[in-house]
Amino acid sequence: MKNVKRLLALVLALAMVLTLCACGPKEDKGNDKQEENNTTGDTIKVGAMFNITGGQASLDEPSYRGFKLYFDEVNKAGGINGRQIEVVSYDGKTDQTVCANNTSKLIDVDKVVAISGLSDSNYAFAAGNVAQQSGVPFVFSGATTPTLNDIGDQVFLTAFGDDICAYAAADYLTEELNITKVYMLVDQSMDFTTTLARCFQERLEKNGGEVVLTDNYMNKDPDFSAQIDRYLADNKGAEAIFLSSVPDDVGVITKQFRDRGVTDLMISGDGADTPLLYEVAGEAATGFLVSTHCSFENEDPAVQDFVKLYTETQGTAPENAFAALGYDAAHIIATAIEMCGDDVTPANVRDNLEAIQNLRLVTGTVSYSAGNHIPQKSATIITVADDGSFKFVKEIG
Amino acid sequence: MSASYFISQLVNGLRLGSVYAIVAVGYSIVYGILRLINFAHGDIMTIGVYVMLMLMTTIGMPLWAVVIVSVVVSVFAGVLIERLAYRPLRSANEEATLISSLAVSTLLQNLLQMIFSPQKRAFHLPEFFSVRHDIFGIQLSTMNIMTFVAVAVIVIALTFVVQKTKIGTAMRACSENLDAARLMGINPNKVIVFAFAVGSGLAALAGLMLAGEYKTIDPLMGFVPGLKAFCAAVVGGIGSLYGAVLGGLVIGVAEMLFAGLMPTSVTAYRDAFVFVVLILVLLVRPNGLLGQSEGGRS
Repeated sequence: MKNVKRLLALVLALAMVLTLCACGPKEDKGNDKQEENNTTGDTIKVGAMFNITGGQASLDEPSYRGFKLYFDEVNKAGGINGRQIEVVSYDGKTDQTVCANNTSKLIDVDKVVAISGLSDSNYAFAAGNVAQQSGVPFVFSGATTPTLNDIGDQVFLTAFGDDICAYAAADYLTEELNITKVYMLVDQSMDFTTTLARCFQERLEKNGGEVVLTDNYMNKDPDFSAQIDRYLADNKGAEAIFLSSVPDDVGVITKQFRDRGVTDLMISGDGADTPLLYEVAGEAATGFLVSTHCSFENEDPAVQDFVKLYTETQGTAPENAFAALGYDAAHIIATAIEMCGDDVTPANVRDNLEAIQNLRLVTGTVSYSAGNHIPQKSATIITVADDGSFKFVKEIG
Repeated sequence: MSASYFISQLVNGLRLGSVYAIVAVGYSIVYGILRLINFAHGDIMTIGVYVMLMLMTTIGMPLWAVVIVSVVVSVFAGVLIERLAYRPLRSANEEATLISSLAVSTLLQNLLQMIFSPQKRAFHLPEFFSVRHDIFGIQLSTMNIMTFVAVAVIVIALTFVVQKTKIGTAMRACSENLDAARLMGINPNKVIVFAFAVGSGLAALAGLMLAGEYKTIDPLMGFVPGLKAFCAAVVGGIGSLYGAVLGGLVIGVAEMLFAGLMPTSVTAYRDAFVFVVLILVLLVRPNGLLGQSEGGRS
């Protein structure tokens, strides 16, 4: 009897854990009806693989809205070559396994012709490898690690590589502000942050500057008191602080440094430009510099039209550059689909993606070539104004 | 390395260790009586913090009232969990309750994510708490000082309760031998509810100290500190009140000194170091620093 009870308790406990898996936020299925093949249906299915919840949500959520917005507009205008586009979306939940599984699902179950999404390289690697093996093109909306290109011929980047972003930050410090001694704080748990830090240091040293002190931490550890005390005790003459962090952490770090009386200039890479920065750090964020994809203050009509459209349809101004990147990723895929004519298959879409030349987008101009699927775009330095909004400083490159 | 630098890192460690200590006390008193490792303990801390956030941002209550309400809610949450998830398993073996507590932990984390979204949220205390004071050349924020004072008060109060009051005597009796205590006319359920209530209330206070220091909160914030506090309870000798406090301080100081004094190339691995400390202490003293060998209870 006791054994039965024991077993029952175990089973109940396990059942409880398992039911939890079903408790997560409902996935936005788009449309439930399953068409046997995209090439013959009236609609063309495109996959959206964004981290709508979790640590990446502050980037991926605006990206997804931008992505969806572009195809909504396309459909309103009559679709592509007379066919409507159906966006099938799953939430990656900021989990590499979920991203990979849902990518498989988009390919095997929904039979999409192309997939887009993901602002961070860790998740992009997980999902991109799945797409590569299945022979379906994946256009990363915001991921920037240059080695993503090595996944294979099926993956494309919408954004510039980290090198360009980091170079712009280094150039701005050395050339515009004449700052040569820099302190770096690096999140050691992410590909994105370690690559960004490496590229920044490379360029800074090439420009005659020097990283005088590097300190490290791991993502999800919110306690920076040890690092701050180390900095306060001896910052080796550093005149600026370069944060190589994911967006979640930037506000926390800035607030903690400023609260301890550190007034030195702080700069970070793309992704730091989320509303979370000002929300968490408040006034401490004022003057914070970000090297990113675009500024919505840019006079360029492509930028201003996007800002107007997004504001009208989403009820809010674009949260950050990632909204524009999502929109641009959709633009890239739509262009390739249009070039396919009537024969829209994943293989044709891929070939036409590679043929894209000088496509003018909100975040810059994109050209791809065989072997290089990372666009050469300019980076923009922006700063946090007194009211928490991001102000344009300078376009570099 | 100057002495003042060492002292500043030591203070960081003591501050973090104090928070671990407060959480570890909760682990320890529950374990002492039930031999249960309550994995949901860290999540009760998260509940307390979210209650504070809600009260501060939506109703705008004064902080002292916020803290009281949040502690009360956490106490109720802790007692409710005991009633629903642990008491029905009281006659089952210890492993079943352990798994039940893991399930409760996952349930609470998911529940919080569903209600509040997994996004980090800003957690702002009045500026007064971050003001730094110069005390004998050591920089301390108001929050730091309050943390140290709180730990001292909690230890003294708990010592008094455990040593001098009727319920404290009953607690000691139950942790010595639950069945014998029952035969002596002690109602173990009362004692257990009391232990959960105290532990949960303390967890909410610890949550305030963590969130006030880090300025952000998220639904999973209680898990890792909870795990480290559990390590602290084990290092100190689980079941022992002073052991939990000592263990908390040892773990906190070890973590911060590692992060502050080691070369920066390895400092990112400080969580791993905490667990190395745990293993080393257990190798030398299998029952923890202040633990007594007891050979398990039947």
